[in-house]
Amino acid sequence: MTLTDQHEDADRLPTLDALGRRRVLVIAVAVIVVLAVGAAIGMLITTARTGAGPGGSAAPDAESIDVGFSQDMRVHHFQAITMAGIARDKTTDPEVHSIAFDIESTQLAQAGAMAGWLNVWGQAELPAAGKGYMAWMAGSGHQHSGAVLESGGVSTMPGMATTEELNKLKTLSGKELDIYFLQLMLRHHQGALPMAQYAASHAGVGYVRNLAAKMVASQSNEAGLMTKMLAARGAVPLPAPN
Amino acid sequence: MASGTKSKGAGAPKGKASAAKGKGVRSARAARTSVVSTKPKPWGTIIAVIAVLALAGGVFTYAFVQIHEKTKWVVSADNQDPSDQIPGVVKVKYEGAQHIDATQRVAYDKSPPFGGPHDGVWADCTGVVYTTAVRNENMVHALEHGTVWIAYNPDQIKDAALDKLKSKVEGQQYTMLSPYPGLDKPISLQSWGHQLKLDSADDTRIDDFVNSLRSNQYQTPEPGGRCDAADPAQFDVSKPPPFVAEPPGADAVKMDGTGAKKGEDQGVPTAPAVPPTDAVPPASGQPPASGAQPPPSQ
Repeated sequence: MTLTDQHEDADRLPTLDALGRRRVLVIAVAVIVVLAVGAAIGMLITTARTGAGPGGSAAPDAESIDVGFSQDMRVHHFQAITMAGIARDKTTDPEVHSIAFDIESTQLAQAGAMAGWLNVWGQAELPAAGKGYMAWMAGSGHQHSGAVLESGGVSTMPGMATTEELNKLKTLSGKELDIYFLQLMLRHHQGALPMAQYAASHAGVGYVRNLAAKMVASQSNEAGLMTKMLAARGAVPLPAPN
Repeated sequence: MASGTKSKGAGAPKGKASAAKGKGVRSARAARTSVVSTKPKPWGTIIAVIAVLALAGGVFTYAFVQIHEKTKWVVSADNQDPSDQIPGVVKVKYEGAQHIDATQRVAYDKSPPFGGPHDGVWADCTGVVYTTAVRNENMVHALEHGTVWIAYNPDQIKDAALDKLKSKVEGQQYTMLSPYPGLDKPISLQSWGHQLKLDSADDTRIDDFVNSLRSNQYQTPEPGGRCDAADPAQFDVSKPPPFVAEPPGADAVKMDGTGAKKGEDQGVPTAPAVPPTDAVPPASGQPPASGAQPPPSQ
């Protein structure tokens, strides 16, 4: 078959009607192809942005160190806030009151800042149900104390007090309260340290690395202070978390 | 075949349409059958077009599913209430911030309640597993702060099922678990304005509900509200104010907040500590049973 044959075929083609229908079909198919390819490319770009690491302009994704650190450290902070609040309410020792109030207000503000980041990044403020903690630190080679879950996370973060320990803290008063609070909070700070250190050096976003680094510095200072306060009250720290 | 494809790809020249215009209808009709029968279909082009469409469709679907799976249960400006995707969730719009005091009760419209007036003191929601049923008026305030409250019927949920629920709550911020005597289903999940009643602790909708609504800044009247009980003297986690099974009396605060002794914005109580007289003759036909009103024990 030659081109001419084709043209003659076309010439012999019946009505404008039939011919027009065919052209409409060709154009419609072409438009659909262009749209489909365009939509696919657009969706791919969206995927890339959703999954983009924090190195790019896109927000950190759900598996990033930035999101994992922010969600987990909020939970870690909340317990420090709880313990500090108990001590601030119940202690009669001005020095203990002072450090408790300092820790409570600082960590509450930091938890709020991290919630703000997570909101802007389009991520949940808290770790997903059943996800466990610290899967974002998988590359650290750090051995966690908690049971490892299917998700790769652990069931509990280092330095966290148990419910029983929290309940015991609530029942104490006087010097006993002060010492137990300092012991629990010191261990809590020690547990947060490797998390904050890892984020300070590995998070993708500069402001996350900055806050993590500030946590390392300030909580190390507070840990030193609490160690001294324990000694001054004739007590020793609890075993450090592993 | 190849030439047929090529000429098809080039399309009919524009001039041909007008040329065809002059042809007689009859001869055209006569020609139609021969054209149809002799001209080969441009299969190459058709297959190429279908292939491109299939590829584009596949890529689109893959990318769409990837994005959807990643963000399905994540709260964001584009997904303000992921619980809309959970079958069975009951939603009610409640106004926040109407406070009562420890001596009052609220005539809640739902059981368990998931919004409405509440005590100024909130229940501790720092991942607390309550072993006794807790006063509704305190629990509802915790919901206002973004908490998910898992209530269970203690006659139906025990042992392994109860352990499963505990594992979802203990130590989990903005989450609390408590028995709820007389609950009409084994399990009921509450967040502010949302409720989901379930039969089994293994139901995957529990995690979906938690992820959708816990600390959800769009659904919570007070995002960032705290979970630590403010004052152990008013709310002691180890000995929380007890749940009251009897229906509230006619003097209870109504869902619209009428009858409340103190409002959020009223720094000073405007009325003396005497029940308002308008509470006496109720239109609801529920007589103020003398035993129904709990003594102001707090």
